[in-house]
Amino acid sequence: MKRRLGVVGLFLAMGLVFSFFAYAAEPIVIGVPTSTGFVEGKEGLAVVEMAVAEINAKGGVKVGSEKRMFTVEAIDIRDAAPGVPVPEALMGIEKLILEKKPTALLIGPFRSEALLAAMDIFTKYKVPMIGSIAMTPASEAKIKQEPDKYKYVFRTCLNAKYLVGYLVGTMSFLNKEFGFNKVYIMHQDVAWARGTAGGIVKSYFEKAGWTVVGQESYPTGASDFSSALMKARSGGAQVILPIFDMPQSGTLVKQWKSMKVPALLAGFISPLAGPGAWKTFDKKIGGAVNCNFEMGSAVASPKVPQSVEFLKAYQKKFGKPMEAGHGPAPTYESVYILKEAIERAGSLDPDALVAEIKKTDRTGVMGRIRFDDGQQAIFGNDPKETAVASVFQWTDKGERVNVYPEAIADAKIKLPAGLKVAK
Amino acid sequence: MLLGTIIYAVINSVILILMSIGFNLTFGISGISNFAYGALYILAAFVTWMLIQLVGLPYLASALISIFFTAFIGALMYRFILMRVRGQVLSEVIATFGIGLAILEFFRYLGFVGVEYALPVFIDESFMVGDVYVDAQRMLIVAAGIVLVILLWLFVHYTSTGLAFRGIAQDERTALTFGMDSDRIATLSVSLGAGLAAIAATVIIPLGTISVSQGYDVLINALAVSIIGGLGSTGGVIVASLLVGFAQRFTDTYIGSHWTMIVSLVAILLVLVIKPSGIYGKQKELEERI
Repeated sequence: MKRRLGVVGLFLAMGLVFSFFAYAAEPIVIGVPTSTGFVEGKEGLAVVEMAVAEINAKGGVKVGSEKRMFTVEAIDIRDAAPGVPVPEALMGIEKLILEKKPTALLIGPFRSEALLAAMDIFTKYKVPMIGSIAMTPASEAKIKQEPDKYKYVFRTCLNAKYLVGYLVGTMSFLNKEFGFNKVYIMHQDVAWARGTAGGIVKSYFEKAGWTVVGQESYPTGASDFSSALMKARSGGAQVILPIFDMPQSGTLVKQWKSMKVPALLAGFISPLAGPGAWKTFDKKIGGAVNCNFEMGSAVASPKVPQSVEFLKAYQKKFGKPMEAGHGPAPTYESVYILKEAIERAGSLDPDALVAEIKKTDRTGVMGRIRFDDGQQAIFGNDPKETAVASVFQWTDKGERVNVYPEAIADAKIKLPAGLKVAK
Repeated sequence: MLLGTIIYAVINSVILILMSIGFNLTFGISGISNFAYGALYILAAFVTWMLIQLVGLPYLASALISIFFTAFIGALMYRFILMRVRGQVLSEVIATFGIGLAILEFFRYLGFVGVEYALPVFIDESFMVGDVYVDAQRMLIVAAGIVLVILLWLFVHYTSTGLAFRGIAQDERTALTFGMDSDRIATLSVSLGAGLAAIAATVIIPLGTISVSQGYDVLINALAVSIIGGLGSTGGVIVASLLVGFAQRFTDTYIGSHWTMIVSLVAILLVLVIKPSGIYGKQKELEERI
């Protein structure tokens, strides 16, 4: 009898031990639906895994009285690829939510069109989503219009309005410093780039008395920019303002250099962000000024020490430097924002999480992060007060030097050979 | 401005010739529309990149190996897949398009995304032509285009294989009665077309970067030029490339860059309305032959 009781007791004890481990090991699922076939999505997913590894190594996330680990479930929704319809991306998001039951989603859609359509899915399934690539301010307008319905959507990356602000700041600096007031605008023929170009013309160039020598839009995939460069030269443009996110846009810089156009190239060209651009573009990008969307995404500043550590850690973990100038830094911050919100809420209840994410006030790799009433991270010029982007210039030695905003600038913009000060 | 537009229009035209001549040649000889053409172009580019970056071979050796490798893949494509469906136009299109998708998506799956995939330029210099700066790589592309067209002409006129190509292209039934092996010639034509795609990739891609989505653009350009010139006609490809190349650059300069995308589509529509088989096309005769 004693022996039988002993065996039963042993089984019960084993059951208890197993159920304890099974319960304790149940992880918190972070869903990552994004375009992993593009460098922003690919490196964004990599930094989610990096942040999760860091958090898990320190014991995980405290939910009430217990510690739980994070786990990552990703899906490639391919919305950045040409020709992929929005409904297909939405199906991917819904599949991830239904099959993996994530507590929250990070990164999210790449294209703004997909984000706007996906907002109703996040509401339907009550899943908080902290986005870090799509940039349309229209999502903030929807949140402001129906705050209760769309309360699950947050954004930690730069939005298009802030991008206009940084580019206007750069143009204003060029006007003050060098007297430049003639610009040629070249942009990709997609919604965000058209909007950004139009926004700068209306909010700055027209009011500040600049002459827009010409404005050219290019279909995605275009790779010959010779005509516009010739027009910029013959029109006497002192500044060429490019706004592109396609991989082929790096060719514009090479062509600008080889055609020796006497104008400063200053704007946003996505492939120019990372250190690899120097080699990729045959060391022909010296002098180009580029806006990096978030501090820490491929570009660091000693004035934001966390950004330096972040890029070092990335290189150490993955064996190569970060190349995406948009996405990774806010994505990394999103993981910690989620962790802190879970710990403050003490539960995984979506409404409780949303309430705590709203209260975010943390200083990290891109400065200080707080959300406005459109649930957009606030960007500005001082990393102690807001998140910051950085405008940097490629030197002729292949280094990137921060030149704007002043709080993080390490040097002043240098003019390329053949271009003289106009005042 | 006019001189600059003309110079870059010539360069653009030669790029179009290089991009489409392999596709057109394969169709002209074997009647196969190789919809994997753009993927083979990207395959050659990535193979060259890997040989340079991962193996450390010099550019020329890497380019040569990748050209032969891509040509070999073309031959395998015909022997193991296309030979079974040859003559069934829809099946050929589906098979080649499927192979192309598989190649491109395989690279995407392996993580070949980003801007670090680029090939080096041969000579890092720019020269003044009149008052226009042109870089050496573009001049090299023009030279490569001219040399390639001359070599192809010599090949099909003065070599036994080239004459067999012409024989099969002109009248396959008669060529068969003379003992020509149709499948051997078709294998060679798909292989040569793939090799020409690889040559185009190794001289054009140093101007930009390698990206998977470019595969679709190359296919569309090759199709547009071949349809306008007349499927299967090398002379047609050259004339169509010059027409489209000049039209694109003049539209770019004098109307607006975003209109350049529709230039080839408008040209296709015009050709289909005025001369449905293309400028030098013999499409209807080919249909009767099949």
